[in-house]
Amino acid sequence: MSFTITCPICGERDVYEFHFGGRDRGPPPSHDNLTIEEYLRYAQFRTTRTEAQLEWWFHSNGCGSWFTTWRNPANNREEKPQEMSNDQQ
Amino acid sequence: MRARLPEFPTQHIDRGQEISFSYLGKRMSGLGGDSVAVAMYDNGVRIFSRSLKYHRPRGLYSLDGESANTLMNIDGIPNENAEKRRLRDGMEVSAQNVRGRPDTDFYSFINWFDRFMPAGFYYRMFHRPYKLWPFFLNRIRKMAGVGTLDIHREFDDSRRFEIFLNADVAVIGGGTAGMNAALAAAGQGLRVCLFEHRAWLGGHMDWRVVEFEDEPLFERARGLAKQVEANTQIRLFTQAPVTGIWGNKLITAYQTGKDGEYFDERYIECRAKSVVVASGCIERPLVCNNNERPGVMQVNTAWRLARTYAITPGKRIVFSIGDDLGLEAALDLAELGLKVLAVADARSDKQNADLLTRLQSAGIEYLPGWAASNVKGGKHVRGVELSELNGSQTCSFKCDLLVASAGQQAVIGPLSTAGAKFRYCTETGLFQPTEMPPKMFSAGRMTGLTHPGSIDTSGTIAGLEAAAACDRDVSTNLDAARRAAAKLPGETKGCDLVYGPGIGAGRKAFICFDGDGTFKNAVQSASQGFDAPELAKRFGGFGLGPGQYQVPGQNLAMAMSNINGTPIENSQFTTVRPPLVPLTLATCVGPRHNIYKQTPLHRDQKARGGIFRNAGVWRRARYFSPDLDCRPEIRNVRENVGLLDGSSLGNFRIYGPDALRALQRVYVSNMEKSREGRCKYSAMCNETGNIVDDGVVTKVADDNYYFTTTSNRAGITIEWFRYHTRFDDWDFKLVNLTDSMGSINVAGPNARNLLQKVTKEDLSNEAFPYMAYKELIVGDGVSARCLRLGFVGELSFELHVAASHSQYVWDLLWEAGQEFKVHPFGMEAQNCLRAEKGHVIVGTESEQRVTLLDIGLGFLWDSNDTSSNKVGAPALRACENQQGRMKLVGFRVSESGVTPLDGDIVVDGNDIVGYVCTTRISESLDCSYGMALVKDGYATRGEKIRMCQALGKRHDEYTATVVPPQFYDPDGQRLRT
Repeated sequence: MSFTITCPICGERDVYEFHFGGRDRGPPPSHDNLTIEEYLRYAQFRTTRTEAQLEWWFHSNGCGSWFTTWRNPANNREEKPQEMSNDQQ
Repeated sequence: MRARLPEFPTQHIDRGQEISFSYLGKRMSGLGGDSVAVAMYDNGVRIFSRSLKYHRPRGLYSLDGESANTLMNIDGIPNENAEKRRLRDGMEVSAQNVRGRPDTDFYSFINWFDRFMPAGFYYRMFHRPYKLWPFFLNRIRKMAGVGTLDIHREFDDSRRFEIFLNADVAVIGGGTAGMNAALAAAGQGLRVCLFEHRAWLGGHMDWRVVEFEDEPLFERARGLAKQVEANTQIRLFTQAPVTGIWGNKLITAYQTGKDGEYFDERYIECRAKSVVVASGCIERPLVCNNNERPGVMQVNTAWRLARTYAITPGKRIVFSIGDDLGLEAALDLAELGLKVLAVADARSDKQNADLLTRLQSAGIEYLPGWAASNVKGGKHVRGVELSELNGSQTCSFKCDLLVASAGQQAVIGPLSTAGAKFRYCTETGLFQPTEMPPKMFSAGRMTGLTHPGSIDTSGTIAGLEAAAACDRDVSTNLDAARRAAAKLPGETKGCDLVYGPGIGAGRKAFICFDGDGTFKNAVQSASQGFDAPELAKRFGGFGLGPGQYQVPGQNLAMAMSNINGTPIENSQFTTVRPPLVPLTLATCVGPRHNIYKQTPLHRDQKARGGIFRNAGVWRRARYFSPDLDCRPEIRNVRENVGLLDGSSLGNFRIYGPDALRALQRVYVSNMEKSREGRCKYSAMCNETGNIVDDGVVTKVADDNYYFTTTSNRAGITIEWFRYHTRFDDWDFKLVNLTDSMGSINVAGPNARNLLQKVTKEDLSNEAFPYMAYKELIVGDGVSARCLRLGFVGELSFELHVAASHSQYVWDLLWEAGQEFKVHPFGMEAQNCLRAEKGHVIVGTESEQRVTLLDIGLGFLWDSNDTSSNKVGAPALRACENQQGRMKLVGFRVSESGVTPLDGDIVVDGNDIVGYVCTTRISESLDCSYGMALVKDGYATRGEKIRMCQALGKRHDEYTATVVPPQFYDPDGQRLRT
């Protein structure tokens, strides 16, 4: 499967140029008073989704920056969830 | 070669160029422009191959490689499609899947045993008793199948290339619709790529002589082709079939080079902003008894043989057709002076009245509502029976050519791989797109149009729509084109004939030629529950051959809905998969099989006798002696001094106010302790505590650090730092210096004496102790970063210099080292040396199941630090006292007789409890030693563990003793002196 990712610096490019950094789940938990269960949930658990999600991508064969972009894993198109695309650009 | 028909402008042959080739050792000749199959046909070859299962004779059916009938071995390469391969001088052509010759194939008797080979028989017949399967497998492989690969043949891959394109608009199909689309988009200033699988543009207009707007269709098409060729906005690819359309309009194709071009074949990947698909139609075969006999061919095949190649397709010709093109072809061939006996038309109405009148005046018998019901003749057509569709009347003709088709079917492949949905249209008789992917547009015959003007206008509209998808304002042009289209004829009624009259059980009525799938097989599949087309496709073997969906596609869908009694408009086309057209693996792979980086000292190392191996992205010298144990190299480092090219090592600079915080985040140690002039060894873990990298860090100045990584990790280090600090908004810069620097390791007891000769800096143990860092000036003023490390377990200095200075520094050291008899050493020697010392290599002594702690590097971890959120720290904390983990241990094998190997397993009874990471025979220890990862219960020092080595079917067991992994100089005296 080949699709495109839009880098905020370089524009729309082939996905081959990027490394995937996972769905955006916010900053990792602080290690202070962190239980192992909480940590494992962060480090090991992933949810598979079939709707548009915010993801981290790294432009490894390009500008070398991490950025987030919306992508729908069901069709690999860069699109926002429907309820968001109206009010949030 | 026989006499060809008189010259005519539709022809694509060069009568001045006679090409000689051989077929099965017999010399033949053709003309320039011929395909191999066409030239063979002209030389009288009628049986081209034998079918996969029944070994039935097969002949020239199509001209664009729609079936496996004409797969040939050409110049030693199997499975070349002779219909698509251009004839070249001296070609050697031979047949495949035959014992003997295609016309006298020994296995042809199998045809009579078809009732013992029902649908799915391979799956059902031969697996009981199971023991006999290998025997049958062998037999079947011999009798069924296509070409045989000569694995000893030298293959020249130097003329295979690949190109990667970006286009605004990609147009698939170079017929008049595609050309109009390309011109319309190019007219908007857009960059257009046009892909056409034939060697010339024009599609099915290319050979038609009827006039439209006072101009023959072929001349109209050629005029258009000239415009396309002259348009600098259009990049034209002919002989370039599209193999698929992928996510977000990525088109893959491959192109065969014309004579004099720099490539034989090249792979094409084109990313387009919008796509016009005008892939047109191919003919839908007529399913009747013996419908694939040599001498039965498609309408366009017979027509083009005459019009494009000036070859007489047959002497007495009968037509059984399903659309106006068939009528036009029959008339045209008759006008060329060929003997057309009769035309059976599967339609009863909606024919073009003008064509019927002309047919009548030409004196050709016309039978509307009729179709061929049976083809007579053994190895070749000798006659044909035509029947009324309801079977009430039959008549026979003696003929040598049956031109048969049940009308048209759309080429849905490209659009289908792009995710378009199709539905059978009862009006046009085609599977037409109902749901298009974004920014993709279809045009031309595949949309059900047949009128030349309508086809052209649909192309223009699609081209303008594609331009609009590229943000061009084309509303005026688009409105005009749509108004023009509204005045032109729309979709034409197609033919809905599923199978010819009187096929009975359909024993010899073939839906799929490549896999010998008959109508009877389809019925059998349905009766055994495999009633959906997708199931019947697998069970009965329809469309699994090289031609894929092209011959059976629509017929299978229609036949299954007919058999199941479901409405035809609900019939389903089986999934079309890329590659839509078979291509060789060599073309996919391209010209560069072995890509690697060379160190700045590569040529030098080679000249010194280095034997190179790939190591990650690098090519590195592994051995400097034919003795792969590298004894002299190892001894030289232990006793004297050696030089290692370590340039693949990662070197980085990190600086900025938050550089230290970033280091604290990714390294497990307390990086505040890295001081100026000192190297600090540390490691990086991932989030689950597995070690991913190790290296040294030195502070160059405030907020300015220099660090090394392993060779494998260098490419991902910046990504890693940035990922783990991506929420922090810290201010630091990272520079990857790996490729801009060379690294030379001077190691051995004489290392200081050697290095001192090339620098004035004080290198004494007091001034420059173990794990110190200095910036030296060597030779005539080259600055070098010098790290006093000890990876190989001896006194050693690592010099990091600019890549362009590397050779100079190496030469300097080499000259200075002559009095010590300095010698280079390679990766293998380094590996033995470091293993004796118990120094780990990340990825060799570590893996996904083991953490930093498990391999004995827990001392690096600053476990009290929770404030800098070190990557992996919580995981390390959680498994600190965990039982049942794997641990890294050293071992010695005192037994003689067995030489341990990397990867040997550690066993306890029948259980595998670990494995050997690295093992070598040590000269200095006089035994085999190594490091292994074992379950913690087996990691106790002094315990015996059992090892097992599998060599082929033999298993050797041996015993080892668990020891600390530091075998050589355990106190580290040698690297500190």
